[in-house]
Amino acid sequence: MSELTLLVLQLGFLLLLWAFIFSIVYALRSDLFGQRVRKLQPESAAAAPSPAAAFPAAAPVAAAAATAPVSRPTTPPAGDGPLRLVITSGQKAGTEFPLGRDEITIGRSSDSAIIIRDDYTSTHHARMMLWNGQWMLQDLDSTNGTFLNGARVTVPVQIPLGATIKVGATTFELRR
Amino acid sequence: MSDFDGLIGQTPSAPTPTAQASSAQPPASTPPAGIRRIRMPQRLRNLEFWLLLMACLINAASIVLVQLGALGRVDTQLVLLGAGLSVLVFGLHIAMRFVARDADPFLLPIATVLNGLGIAMIYRIDIADGDSGWQSAAVRQIVWSAIAIICAIATILLIRNHRVLFRYTYVAGFVAIILLMLPLVPGLGQNRGGARVWIGIGDIATFQPGEIAKIALAVFFAGYLVRNRDSLSMVGKQFLGMRFPRARDLGPLLIVWALSMSVIVFQRDLGTALLYFGLFLVMLYVATSRLSWVVLGLSLFLAGALIASQTLDYVNNRFQNWLDPLSDARYNADPGGSYQLVQGLFGLANGGLIGTGWGQGSPELTPVPQSDYIIASLGEELGLAGLFAILALYVLLVARGFRIGFAGQDDFGKLLGVGLAFVIALQVFIVVGGVTRVIPLTGLTTPFLAAGGSSLVANWIIIALLLRLSDTVRNHPRLVIDG
Repeated sequence: MSELTLLVLQLGFLLLLWAFIFSIVYALRSDLFGQRVRKLQPESAAAAPSPAAAFPAAAPVAAAAATAPVSRPTTPPAGDGPLRLVITSGQKAGTEFPLGRDEITIGRSSDSAIIIRDDYTSTHHARMMLWNGQWMLQDLDSTNGTFLNGARVTVPVQIPLGATIKVGATTFELRR
Repeated sequence: MSDFDGLIGQTPSAPTPTAQASSAQPPASTPPAGIRRIRMPQRLRNLEFWLLLMACLINAASIVLVQLGALGRVDTQLVLLGAGLSVLVFGLHIAMRFVARDADPFLLPIATVLNGLGIAMIYRIDIADGDSGWQSAAVRQIVWSAIAIICAIATILLIRNHRVLFRYTYVAGFVAIILLMLPLVPGLGQNRGGARVWIGIGDIATFQPGEIAKIALAVFFAGYLVRNRDSLSMVGKQFLGMRFPRARDLGPLLIVWALSMSVIVFQRDLGTALLYFGLFLVMLYVATSRLSWVVLGLSLFLAGALIASQTLDYVNNRFQNWLDPLSDARYNADPGGSYQLVQGLFGLANGGLIGTGWGQGSPELTPVPQSDYIIASLGEELGLAGLFAILALYVLLVARGFRIGFAGQDDFGKLLGVGLAFVIALQVFIVVGGVTRVIPLTGLTTPFLAAGGSSLVANWIIIALLLRLSDTVRNHPRLVIDG
């Protein structure tokens, strides 16, 4: 082996090592620069990627989703229904929670979808489910009540877009 | 779509809906019988697969280059052994496809490259020393790597949810103490290089229990702090712009401090003491977010180290070597001189910008070039460019660990992730800082690189735990609001 060959091989090895590092950095660049903002076209909501598309969760997928692009575990509700739940006040104000087709349970218990641990929330406080393309809110006999636009929920009610839902010290609303 | 926005799960601003599998009610539209589960493409695992291929290519290239540089020919035997290791790594990858589908895709390739670079360097020292067969440290390192990766596979198969560890908080603390005490048991403990941190029967199967103890300690600290952090963070007097804890809450800090000091005095191991204490301090800071704990802890440790440097010979030597290594008196002092430190610096200088090339430097001139000084050996043969690549790999590894902790939903998982990542970071800092004369030299193993079975096993288990944590983070995509 001539010295020149070895030098070239050494340089090649260092390049390979750095190429490895940069391919990792390239793959995780969303960590550094944040997620790309996508515009949702109102008329083509079904075609636009839902916020949940970024997370291929291991959940079993409804059969209806099988025809949808594979990178989307949950198809957004058809039509112009809400796409996300936004916390508007409380500890996590500003946090968003993408809506799929699943029921969303709210309460103190750790098997709830949204766990709220404060002094006013019951173990199984309320739940929201998609019913004929409309999100419905049901109070689960909570001690301190669930409020929709300031009115206590006694029977399951439909949730209009942008209506304020109050559970304990937390308020949130559904948005597109 | 090429961006991996969901690499770790979610940023707090965008959690995903709950996994349907965990809710008691069946999803709104149940799939028809016959289709039990539609397999999602495993984007993260496929990414990991390609990175792993690249990692194995780097490892094979480094061993071949060592042989070309040092022997002038290619010897297939060790390449085949290395290939066996690659098979095991892919075994871990396949296991994750089944039980940790959403785990972080970068940890495994990075650990594989670091492990492989270490093996190549140890092999290179073996060639210089003329060791072969079972005498060869490289063969033993490969066998230990195999054991370590099997341990990692077992960890990821056995621990399906990291919250299980929360139940064993105090058991973990007890185990850590036992492991730390083991080397002091007469007949079992062994003295080597002045430090009493090994156990073993005769000369076979020696083990450094302190390496495993650091995992147990991380689990214990995380569980303990989650249970007790309120009393540690809420009360106390405001002073100098910081809220200081009450005297009676100082107990845990003082106990860990005393433990570290006893490691310095009885086991004569400065690095390990610094590692444990630093781990506790950082986890305490993360749990309580109070700077006063760090100030208190650091001043306690500095005071202890200062007293130790005045009273204990070996600590004093380390300090003298650090301050003035090139003086004749220090260089020629034996034992406890600065010969090793200076040889390491010469080696690094010899490497220059791009290094002498695999197998063409003379790292064997430094004492223990394959364990404590492997960073200096690698720096000589790969140069500044190679050394920075290695440090960049550690940065990425630790950053992923912190990210996993950051994205975690439960406090225990958060603390454990941060603790495990930080213990690797601190260990790298102590070793590399010691070799490059940033801090006094203390003997610790460089994670994944250095020769030593216990260190490999411990670090691969840490990787397995971080992988498990990152998978659980995404499989429990709930929104938690603590009022």
